[in-house]
Amino acid sequence: MRYLLMLYADENAGAAIPPQDMAKAMDTMYAYQEALTKAGAFVSTSALAPTTQARTLRMEGGEVRQTGAGFVNEGGALKVQDGPYAEAREQFGGFFIIEAEDMDAAVKWAARCPAAQWGPVEIRPIVNTLSVSEAPWCADGGFAAKE
Amino acid sequence: MRYMLLIHHDENDLGDPDRLNEIYAGWAAFNAALAKAAGAAPGERMEPASKATTVRVRDGRTGIVDGPYSDTKEQLGGYFFIEAESLEKAVEWAELCPASKYGAVEIRPIVPPGRDY
Repeated sequence: MRYLLMLYADENAGAAIPPQDMAKAMDTMYAYQEALTKAGAFVSTSALAPTTQARTLRMEGGEVRQTGAGFVNEGGALKVQDGPYAEAREQFGGFFIIEAEDMDAAVKWAARCPAAQWGPVEIRPIVNTLSVSEAPWCADGGFAAKE
Repeated sequence: MRYMLLIHHDENDLGDPDRLNEIYAGWAAFNAALAKAAGAAPGERMEPASKATTVRVRDGRTGIVDGPYSDTKEQLGGYFFIEAESLEKAVEWAELCPASKYGAVEIRPIVPPGRDY
């Protein structure tokens, strides 16, 4: 089972950390990634640019209607806004995708993540594409095609 | 430049349950387009936010809370990655995403590997 570990942190507090201290913090992250890799649990990781560089698109106005071609909103206009979807005290700043047996095992990995020391780590189970193969998300059997 | 696109939608209101296949067809077409695009990866779908767990470690003690980090009207329902030469091109991908019609699509640039956070 795959899990998305979403690392949240206060961006402003992060930006105020001296570079040498930040480098030490990053070393702990690399060590964590190495531990995941050794355990065969590592899938991927990325850091995200600050939310000041985020954009969020959504329809404004009009009415959402379900048609044979899915949802349409003919009266609305697509608006592109600066910033993330939701403003919060801490921001989504990076992730690990891991392979774990179950949520308990994923929680153990999250608790070992250095980022859990300075912000929350949200764990989201990723839909097992094989279990939804009967749903025609796409030709090869899932909303997510296997990599 | 690599981008992560986050799909937010109301997981309790995804249209007529008897007509889900029509919604899936739109996603299938979108995923097929992603599969063909250089540097892009078809999306991953999330289990409902109710199945999320949020973990914090303070002073060596692990705090575990059921549910996502923040409760919002819409929930993170999935994500996908694209390679785009500019934010404008990333916006074009977001427009193509079916969720732009009934939810919200958030675009987050990814820090290139090897560069400091």
